[in-house]
Amino acid sequence: MNNAKQFSKMFAAQVKMMFREKQVWFWNIFFPVILMVIFMVIFGGGSSDSFKAKIAVVDPQPNATSASLIEQMRQIPVLEFKEAEPVAEELGTEWVEEQDIDALIVLPASEGAGAIRLIVNKEDERGVTTQAVAGILDKLIQQANLAAAGATPSINMTMEAVSTGADDLSYADFLLTGMIGLSVAQGGLFGMVELVDMRRRGLMTRLRMTPANMTLYGMAGMLVKLMLGIIQIIILSLIGVFGFGANLHINVFSLAIAFIAGGLVFSAMGYLFSSFSKTIEAYMGMANIVSMLMMFLSGVFIPLETMPDWLQPVAQVLPLTYFVDGMRDGLIYASGVASGAFWIGIGIMALWGVVSFLVGAQVYKTKSISATR
Amino acid sequence: MPVLEVRNLKKSYGPVTAVADISFSVEPGEVFTIIGPNGAGKTTTLEMIEGLVTPDGGQIEFGALNWARNSEQIKVTIGVQPQSSALFDLLTVEENLDLFATFYPKSRPTADVLDMISLTDQRNKYVKKLSGGQKQRLAIGLAMINDPELIFLDEPTTGLDPQARRNIWDIILKLKALGKTTILTTHYMEEAEKLSDRVCIVDQGKIVTLDTPAALIDRLTKEREVRLTLMDGESAAIETEKTALLQTAVVRTAREGDSLRLWTTQPEETLYELFGFTKDRGFRVEQISIREMSLEDVFIAFTGKEWRD
Repeated sequence: MNNAKQFSKMFAAQVKMMFREKQVWFWNIFFPVILMVIFMVIFGGGSSDSFKAKIAVVDPQPNATSASLIEQMRQIPVLEFKEAEPVAEELGTEWVEEQDIDALIVLPASEGAGAIRLIVNKEDERGVTTQAVAGILDKLIQQANLAAAGATPSINMTMEAVSTGADDLSYADFLLTGMIGLSVAQGGLFGMVELVDMRRRGLMTRLRMTPANMTLYGMAGMLVKLMLGIIQIIILSLIGVFGFGANLHINVFSLAIAFIAGGLVFSAMGYLFSSFSKTIEAYMGMANIVSMLMMFLSGVFIPLETMPDWLQPVAQVLPLTYFVDGMRDGLIYASGVASGAFWIGIGIMALWGVVSFLVGAQVYKTKSISATR
Repeated sequence: MPVLEVRNLKKSYGPVTAVADISFSVEPGEVFTIIGPNGAGKTTTLEMIEGLVTPDGGQIEFGALNWARNSEQIKVTIGVQPQSSALFDLLTVEENLDLFATFYPKSRPTADVLDMISLTDQRNKYVKKLSGGQKQRLAIGLAMINDPELIFLDEPTTGLDPQARRNIWDIILKLKALGKTTILTTHYMEEAEKLSDRVCIVDQGKIVTLDTPAALIDRLTKEREVRLTLMDGESAAIETEKTALLQTAVVRTAREGDSLRLWTTQPEETLYELFGFTKDRGFRVEQISIREMSLEDVFIAFTGKEWRD
């Protein structure tokens, strides 16, 4: 039988085996989706595109000043009033305690000068929402004071967040691409457990008794894994874009290069683990440690810049760092393959891949066949 | 010309000698069975012949082919069913056969193999849903997918129920009818006796004896064990025993109450004489049996070990 036909049969058989294995669906599709959704909901602020704080106002002595303050607050889009009208302080405090509202604003008890009090739950004291409401309130008071003094503010500030890539880069984009990188990497790191299983069940020995071309078999297996990676990218992207408003700017060429390099490198690492794992448990343990370490040290969930300085060099040697970068280059920055950084990243990944593969192959070779049965 | 010739095979694992010195040759079309206690070196011998383990010394020749020069050709001409039935669990019976078929330059049609291993009805079942006997049959099916001349079956019936074992025997007999050569290892003496043209008993890495089952049993001993039980009490048994010992063919006797055992080189002659005696004296004989010699006795005689299934 010629090689092309053998290859296509091996590929078809491995596709069937992969998709009939429920574990594959769970760990490669379902699990990354759940993980991404959880992170998006916690850190990405859900699908709403803007920040909102729920508040209530207490106006102990309604007067012109307090009415104008309330009116101004109503104009601020991020402030959402639980009750349109001012409420009693006791009721408002109770809401804060029960975390029904993010903050209670108590206006001065007398017209003219007086303090505006901001009541928040102790748990949220240092929270982002509290800071934001305090900031807004501060600005409001300044304006009120200026107005009272009859002055017009001459300097205004507007803030705009920028990044190196496309203008509309958001945390959703960052997390989405990080998750895609992580899932594809884990597909490789964990995927080679199949080799341990085949060895344990004597299938390796069995295949070696036939004239089967094991190189072709391995290549067919890699192709199946890359296919699974493409499915992961598509599913996670669809959820990210339609569920969480992520924006993709795809450069197919750099995406393809980074993806194939990553698929091969992490599979090579999995191959290395398989070479010295006698049991599935041993393999899974190793793959878990490596993937956990890399998950948190490679800028998947949080930007590398926020990590302590002494940890940064660690991130800079890990292959996942460059793989996630590569995925971001291809998926959201739409940067091409012209940049030197892109190729340095691919180079560092390739180094990991080549070393893992060579060491793994050597371990396989030095073990006698009867020991691998 | 033998299809397989093995000369002075040797293999040690560290201080343990697995195979000390094994030589035999297998003729085309025969079922050649290797039996022996656990740790006798059966599996190591097979693994060396199958090309999985390199021998420390000795030659293995498949006609004009050997592993050093012709490994690819040998793989094409042999079929192996290993002890652990190594199958792809997530493929169906037919998909397993089809996949293995692609490994070889020529193959026997899948439908043919399915028919031979009686799995045509289960062809679309996943392997993980098959029974132990069905899996074992599929493993044998994979060993014959390339239509090999020489098939190795390593303990194909171990752990199977009697019916499933018979199904496997049928396959082995079908292969024999096709003129294929089979090398079999087994734990069941009955099986070796029924299926084999020749049996090779291995112990401590050496061949203890090698011949046809009938010749082995024949060679074992000329004495047969005869048992009889008398209905007229111990005294009748004692008298009969004395008479028996007078005959030259009777080597020795043993008595327990009214039941008597005697070992004779001529069972028919001895029984004729004894029945004459009991008839004269009016003794009634309740039970009588001549014990069949089996391979199990051969095994015990040659290895000095009890046989355990």
